[in-house]
Amino acid sequence: MIHVKNLVKRYGKLVALDHFSLDVQDGEIFGLLGPNGSGKTTAINCILSLLTYDKGEISLFGEPMSPTNYKSKKKIGVVPQNVAVFNELTVQENIDYFCGLYVPEKAARKPLVEEAIEFAGLADFRRFLPKKLSGGLLRRLNIACGIAHKPELIFLDEPTVAVDPQSRNSILEGIRALNASGATIIYTSHYMEEVEQLCSRIMIMDKGRAIATGTREELTALIHTGEKLTVETPALPPAILEQIRNLPNVLRADHGDGHLKADCKGDGHPIIDVLDLLRQNNVSFGQVYSEPPTLNDVFLEITGKQLRD
Amino acid sequence: MFGNIYCKRILVSVRNKGTLIWTWIFPLMMATLFYFAFSGLQDAELLKTIPAGIVVSEEYESDTALRTTLQAVSDPEEGFLELHTYETREAAAEALTSGEIDGFFSLENGSPKLSVSKNDLNQTILKSFLDQYVQTRHAVISLLEKGDTDVSQILDLFQTETWTEELSLSKNVPSETVNYFFALLAMVCMYGGFQGLDSVSYLQANLSPLGARRTLSPAKRFPMVFFDLLAALTVHMACMLFLLAYLVLILRVDFGTGLVPVIVTCLFGSFLGMSFGSFVTAISRAKEGVKVAVIISVSLACSFGAGMMVSGINYKIAKTLPVLAWLNPAARISDALYCLYYYDGYGQYFLNLGILAAMTLAFSIVTAFFLRRQRYESI
Ligand SMILES: Nc1ncnc2c1ncn2[C@@H]1O[C@H](COP(=O)(O)OP(=O)(O)OP(=O)(O)O)[C@@H](O)[C@H]1O
Ligand SMILES: [Mg+2]
Repeated sequence: MIHVKNLVKRYGKLVALDHFSLDVQDGEIFGLLGPNGSGKTTAINCILSLLTYDKGEISLFGEPMSPTNYKSKKKIGVVPQNVAVFNELTVQENIDYFCGLYVPEKAARKPLVEEAIEFAGLADFRRFLPKKLSGGLLRRLNIACGIAHKPELIFLDEPTVAVDPQSRNSILEGIRALNASGATIIYTSHYMEEVEQLCSRIMIMDKGRAIATGTREELTALIHTGEKLTVETPALPPAILEQIRNLPNVLRADHGDGHLKADCKGDGHPIIDVLDLLRQNNVSFGQVYSEPPTLNDVFLEITGKQLRD
Repeated sequence: MFGNIYCKRILVSVRNKGTLIWTWIFPLMMATLFYFAFSGLQDAELLKTIPAGIVVSEEYESDTALRTTLQAVSDPEEGFLELHTYETREAAAEALTSGEIDGFFSLENGSPKLSVSKNDLNQTILKSFLDQYVQTRHAVISLLEKGDTDVSQILDLFQTETWTEELSLSKNVPSETVNYFFALLAMVCMYGGFQGLDSVSYLQANLSPLGARRTLSPAKRFPMVFFDLLAALTVHMACMLFLLAYLVLILRVDFGTGLVPVIVTCLFGSFLGMSFGSFVTAISRAKEGVKVAVIISVSLACSFGAGMMVSGINYKIAKTLPVLAWLNPAARISDALYCLYYYDGYGQYFLNLGILAAMTLAFSIVTAFFLRRQRYESI
């Protein structure tokens, strides 16, 4: 569906995309995950032929993409990172306007607009001007404008910034529904939880490069970090922390804020060993829990930085 | 698709606060202000006498009709002429060049002639006077030829009041006030620039998120901008007609002619204003506020040059810096209205429209050149 090979994009001296390659299959929800400035938006704008680029190949629907490829454009829906709506048009008029750029017949448009309003949960606000909407509602309007015409391929560039958790969940639900009804989705975000929950495949980007691509499991398997153990321990003598660090399956361990945190190696499960050690030394502990590694750990291990700083 | 673009763009324009204030309310306030500030001016202007000359030849001495008429209209109490006499044509011409008089009459082969060196209000009055005189004389001659010699009727025709009255009641009322309204209309035409600004920034991906969003849609660029501009023009013309209606119906401003050519002038002026705004927007990536400031200040400067604030400044510019006057679109618009008001012929009127059209074309070509690009280095 999308094929990008060795894309290079420079803004003056700054290399925004450095030999960036991407393949998205029909029916995927593909996540682009990366910190601010990693080139997600630039990649999308190049793919959509909005930006010139220095090198590389881009094709959509098996055809080279160009600004005048109206046939392809008709099948694409875009939810841009910067909200793009007319301040002078109401919620409903805005959705109708953008839908109208794809669906000329007024009668055909009407149910689509209704559906989009429903989708974004804007039914109570249909006569509102964008100025009167809260930040999150405005984002939802932006989404509705992008998807009303039922595109086959949808680009969503950080659509949930400033949206509250409830609406965010309903939006993610909606995106899954769009996908279930046949749309392929490209979703960018720097919220890894969102991408983990939603996407079937994920690309992690940093400084214009794709540093890893795969399903969530494939990505976490790439790294040494396995399970992550947290034990509530109000006081932990340094000597015992040292002993824990020396346990065979423990990669690293730290104590702070009354919690012991230990990252485990690969497939190891040192939870019993750690708790045994604590009990033998009469260290009292409360809650114990363990999590699988996250994409943040993947990012951390590959780039040496936190995904979110 | 394009019907949707057109209709929604009309809504957008009508609801835009900036446009509402600058193109609907502000001109209305200015018009009202002019109306009250200058309502006394017209009479005062008429009281001023015009310095004019007459070449005293033998022919003139024997033309009693002309002599008595001129004497009557240069009566110190009631007349509007300050008559200077010259022995020869050359002496009169010299006085004309030195600015001592605004024009002079001479008799050549029995018919009176007017010589002037420039073309503004006073000269127009002199010309109307002469036309009227020739007509009246014709009327008298035919009265005499019919043998219907009612002396009082003939005397009536030569009454001073008749001249002044006829002059002020004719369609060509010499009025300074009306030029303020012409310049005001010119200003509103130029404010069409705001519509051009919006149309271009809604089109260009590197000028606004909306531009980027619309560029990604399958709507073709030129039809899209065409229907945008058409909607913008519709709204702008509605605004001009609204102002015209206010001027004509409420303030009773007399345009001295049917409204159709006035509206045509406004249409040409609006084309110019919109293409100017598009041009300013397309050629640079400066902030929108900067472009708005450019459009407002250029429009105000041009209408100032067309005489919106200081009466007669348009004549002064036309005299000292004619190129500037010809290149000032507001001056061309108000001059076109002026031509409709004072002149019977349409020559200069069409010349003005032609210049406006040429400028519109020039702005549009440059703008189109910038709009051709569809992919951007950066947005
Ligand atoms: N118009 C521009 N001119 C110059 N540099 C730019 C421009 N737009 C983006 N950049 C640079 O290109 C790089 C990639 O930017 P981009 O907007 O693609 O990042 P992003 O991953 O979308 O970030 P975010 O999460 O903040 O949206 C950044 O370093 C940014 O500073
Ligand atoms: Mg971005």
